[in-house]
Amino acid sequence: MWKILSGAFLGWSLGANDSANIFGTGVATGTVRYRTAVWLTAVFVMLGSLLEGPKCMQVMTDLSSLLPLNAFFCTLAAGLTMTGMTYLAVPASSSHAIIGAILGVGILQGSADFSRLFKIVTCWIFTPVCGLVFAYLLYRLLVPVLDGSRLSVTQRNQIYRLGILVAGCYGAYSLGSNNVANVTGVYVGSGFLTPEAASLIGGGSIALGVLTYSYRVMMTVGKGIAPLDPFTAFVTVLAGALSLHLFTQVGIPVSSSQAIVGAVVGVGLVGDVRTVSPRMLTRIGLGWVLTPLVAGVLACLFVISARSLL
Amino acid sequence: MFLKKLLGHDDREKRVVEDMERHIRLLTAGCTAFREALEKNDRKRMSRVKELEREADSIRRGITSLIYRGAFLPYLRPELCKFVDIVDQVFDLLEFAAVCYLDLRFPEALRADCSRVAFLNEQMCDLLRISYQTVMAGEDLREKRLAIRIYEKRIDDMKFGLMKDARKIPIDDFWEGSLLADFLSRLCSVSDVIEDASDHLGILSTIST
Repeated sequence: MWKILSGAFLGWSLGANDSANIFGTGVATGTVRYRTAVWLTAVFVMLGSLLEGPKCMQVMTDLSSLLPLNAFFCTLAAGLTMTGMTYLAVPASSSHAIIGAILGVGILQGSADFSRLFKIVTCWIFTPVCGLVFAYLLYRLLVPVLDGSRLSVTQRNQIYRLGILVAGCYGAYSLGSNNVANVTGVYVGSGFLTPEAASLIGGGSIALGVLTYSYRVMMTVGKGIAPLDPFTAFVTVLAGALSLHLFTQVGIPVSSSQAIVGAVVGVGLVGDVRTVSPRMLTRIGLGWVLTPLVAGVLACLFVISARSLL
Repeated sequence: MFLKKLLGHDDREKRVVEDMERHIRLLTAGCTAFREALEKNDRKRMSRVKELEREADSIRRGITSLIYRGAFLPYLRPELCKFVDIVDQVFDLLEFAAVCYLDLRFPEALRADCSRVAFLNEQMCDLLRISYQTVMAGEDLREKRLAIRIYEKRIDDMKFGLMKDARKIPIDDFWEGSLLADFLSRLCSVSDVIEDASDHLGILSTIST
């Protein structure tokens, strides 16, 4: 049973890192209080994991057939990579980390199935594009509706607040449903856990990460990429959540960071391109490339070390 | 109760909106008292401006405190506070002019023109209140802002004539002249600051929509 600990650790890292994508903009703009944000995220992540989590687990099994011990090393490597990225306040992708680790170990033991990788990488590429398109369309669609309605300042205030809360809850649900496979999907592939048990353990560990260690990245994502007003924050979170939910239906775990950054770029394009900070985007891009590489190398090192010890 | 707290839906925002309107109404009342006192040379009524300014100060403190205790989303808070501060600056100018008047032997030759400026200031305050209501209702502000700018231009045109007339008045001692200059300067600056407040309402209107 101890082999699940690394998965739980990865879930914890994911929760700490990716919850920023849900309420980061809301918390950074002061629309939602941090405490409210983390509790809502934890509850809805759990709900998403339990209801739709198993949809993305098959792809983990298809990538490479791992022994339970190797599954342990993969999640450990991915978890350590994610923690490092969180420590450096770089929004990283757990999907990249776990798939990098699985492929690393798969290459080492000669069981990696690269035919699935094409679909996964295509989805990874389309994740920010999807976020961008959703954000662009939502912005274009909602601005005339809001402008046409004669709402008082206080009414708008309430609508923005409610919108960010609802979009955030939906975002947390999508995160849970899409990303729980990253955390415990490998254990389903190795026959160690049933999809339902994996969803429960994975969802619980993500929720714990959200509750205990999410503040730093939340502020980085919320303030570092672009200065967002409440309406833009709402559109961004909703577009990110829609992208994640779409890929859950496709059955591919993708990066919530990529979806949200794509969405931020999308709203930046509608308003003013200069609102997007190229320096921050470069930093995030670097994190995306480094994450699978570091996780893959770490996982290989763990497996080689274990082989020489046992 | 929990849902209300979660959505930040309480009466703080309503209270801020009401108090800000009360603040502007008080300014209009101050301008009315000032104009009537000037017209009738009623020093007791002029002292009332000082009392109204103190009352307005207390309202301003209450508004700022409510805003920073969580009323409205944070992106609006600094702008709301700045608007309240600008309105308060108008009151400060009015109070200063009232104090100068109380210390002054006011030259009768200037009374009619100064009363006219005071009357226009009063009208501008009323327009500012209507503009504020327009912004809070999420409606278009352009016409009201234009009207305020027209009033301000009229006062500006009068200001130079008033200064010219003031120079013709014989002055016995330095302080008497200084007080009169201060009085005229403050009286004619009220409209500038009201225009600033109106411009700030324009900013508020843009960022809140």
